[in-house]
Amino acid sequence: MAPEMTTNLVLTAPEHRVGADLDAWLSGSGGLGLRLALETPSGLISLMEAAGLRGLGGAGFPTFRKWAAAAAEPDPEKVVVCNGNEDEPGTFKDVFLLRETPHQVIEGALIAGLAIRARRVVLYVNPHARGAFDAVAKAVAQWQEHPLLAAVGAAVGGPLRLEAMRSPGLYIGGEETAVVSAVEGGFPFPRRKPPFPAASGVGGHPTVINNVETLATVSHIVRHGAAWYRGLGRNGAAGTKLFSLSGDVQRPGLYELPMGTPLSELIFVHGGGMLLGKEFKAVFTGGPSNTLLTRDELDVPMDFESVRARGSRLGTGAMIVVSEGTSIVRKVAEYVNFFAAGSCGQCPPCKTGSYQLAHLLQRIDTGLATRADLDAVEHLCDLLPGSGRCGLIDGAVTVVASSLQRFRSEYEGQLAGG
Amino acid sequence: MVNLTIDGRPASVPEGTTIVLAAATAGIALTTNVGCMGQGVCGACRALVRRTGEPEVRTALACETPVEDGMQVSFLDRVAPRRPHAYSETDLVDGWTAYERVLAVFPEAVRCRHCSGCDRACPKGLEVQKGVNLAASGDIAGAAAVFDLCVMCNLCVAACPEHIAPNHLGLFARRLAAAGTQRPADLIRRLHEITSGAMTIDADACTDKQP
Ligand SMILES: Cc1cc2nc3c(=O)[nH]c(=O)nc-3n(C[C@H](O)[C@H](O)[C@H](O)COP(=O)(O)O)c2cc1C
Ligand code: SF4
Ligand code: SF4
Ligand code: FES
Repeated sequence: MAPEMTTNLVLTAPEHRVGADLDAWLSGSGGLGLRLALETPSGLISLMEAAGLRGLGGAGFPTFRKWAAAAAEPDPEKVVVCNGNEDEPGTFKDVFLLRETPHQVIEGALIAGLAIRARRVVLYVNPHARGAFDAVAKAVAQWQEHPLLAAVGAAVGGPLRLEAMRSPGLYIGGEETAVVSAVEGGFPFPRRKPPFPAASGVGGHPTVINNVETLATVSHIVRHGAAWYRGLGRNGAAGTKLFSLSGDVQRPGLYELPMGTPLSELIFVHGGGMLLGKEFKAVFTGGPSNTLLTRDELDVPMDFESVRARGSRLGTGAMIVVSEGTSIVRKVAEYVNFFAAGSCGQCPPCKTGSYQLAHLLQRIDTGLATRADLDAVEHLCDLLPGSGRCGLIDGAVTVVASSLQRFRSEYEGQLAGG
Repeated sequence: MVNLTIDGRPASVPEGTTIVLAAATAGIALTTNVGCMGQGVCGACRALVRRTGEPEVRTALACETPVEDGMQVSFLDRVAPRRPHAYSETDLVDGWTAYERVLAVFPEAVRCRHCSGCDRACPKGLEVQKGVNLAASGDIAGAAAVFDLCVMCNLCVAACPEHIAPNHLGLFARRLAAAGTQRPADLIRRLHEITSGAMTIDADACTDKQP
């Protein structure tokens, strides 16, 4: 199959990449989704349900549920936050959308605002993502005087504040309750759930937090309908997905493919296969807070259900490919270090436990460890999950535990004395 | 008997045993995670502990913590501060410059993000964050008082996302406070007598010939 036939299907289609130029956006198909949504705002939530839109920021949570929960709240000051914090190793999809097609994202966020009757829409953007914040700030400024924004305001019962905001640019700043803390102006500390943001978020107001890619999809669903969206996927899955392909492949990059595309097709067709002389070993799915996929899983259709059925998670759609000769232990140690450094510090088991895991892994990697150290690693994998307020520590453990499950012999071979 | 798991090894010990003793019983080589062996003063036996039926995982000193059935324990390595905190004794004596010294040796202290991780991590229940904030705002005597019972287990070093090394800051504050404290008058007088030669000391003297 020719790769160009199936990539850049919707969100990344060339005609949508007009940058921060509202006139150019509206002179194409842009704006049609929002205009349609203004006609029937009450049908938006069931439309998202019928389309089967799921959160594309990592968790795959059905979008309509979040929206419905917030819509049901009587508070008139509801908030929509577009989560553009993207800061994981190997994920680079949101930065692309925010920079190349900010109006597509903003239009989706406004439709979400219509659906829940929000009075504030915040584009929350990682300042380290090159070009993204500037594009969004410019795009947001262009909307301020536009009659369409006023029309949305009228439909939600008052003026709607549309704003661009710099996220703290820390990995933890993307966790949804950390987003709430940061939008309130504080350090991005995650909070205990419940209450979930849809019930009580920014300033105590019901808040819908959606990923950039999720919101970018929304206007297309409104324009083309649920059946069209469902039909985009393969293998029974709905829609498209942006895959951030990196590592030892010929053509790393961003690929928008039908949801349900087999992993092997991403790597060997679109990605051009392994680098010369390299042999496929594994994929860290991501960001690397999920389980590894191995040779046995190359046929897995990349959609939420199929990947989960193999005991892993689709996550953000980041696929970091490593080849034979790459030390899994070292790679995992690097990722665990990343999580340890990124832990916000509120929960001592997360901070100290992830450092302890990193120490032990480093000891194993350098050949200094004994069987007791490996036992200690496994024990921490048992002890730590659920010990934090947010999912960071669980993610760190997942990489370790899954690498141990699939590459145990590599760990054992590194132990001192065999 | 009480059954628990320590670093992945099962241990079965009588009720009332501490975790450190249970580890020794289970054949775990305690090469780094024990020092004073039960006094709770050396801070070596840092551990993460989850009790049966509790979702929380807490930090503890294993030699001060009695075993419970179903307990899970993971010992923690000592996490050293990112860099040594170098200062000389003469830095400590001038109270007028003490605050500048704190800021120069612990520049991170003003960056406390108030996560309270250090408070939760401290197995001695000290108000670590408060101590850090006192030192960072110039109340060195106050900080020294907060850290009075610190055993330097370094759990707050591992816990602090801003790399403040709270206990080392606390130690600095304690040293500053000690340097600024007048010694008892009789001790000072006696030391003077010794150094001036007015009193001689027979180093070989036995107990009945004490000076
Ligand atoms: C540690 C951590 C970091 C996260 N970082 C991001 C992020 O940078 N961007 C993002 O969209 N979601 C991130 N998430 C997921 C969010 O909590 C949330 O699920 C998501 O923004 C919801 O959007 P969606 O339903 O549209 O996917 C993170 C989650 C965790 C636990
Ligand atoms: S689990 Fe870790 S990152 Fe999440 S709130 Fe607790 S300390 Fe912070
Ligand atoms: S752990 Fe560090 S940043 Fe957190 S409250 Fe304590 S001193 Fe402040
Ligand atoms: S062994 Fe010294 S404090 Fe526990």
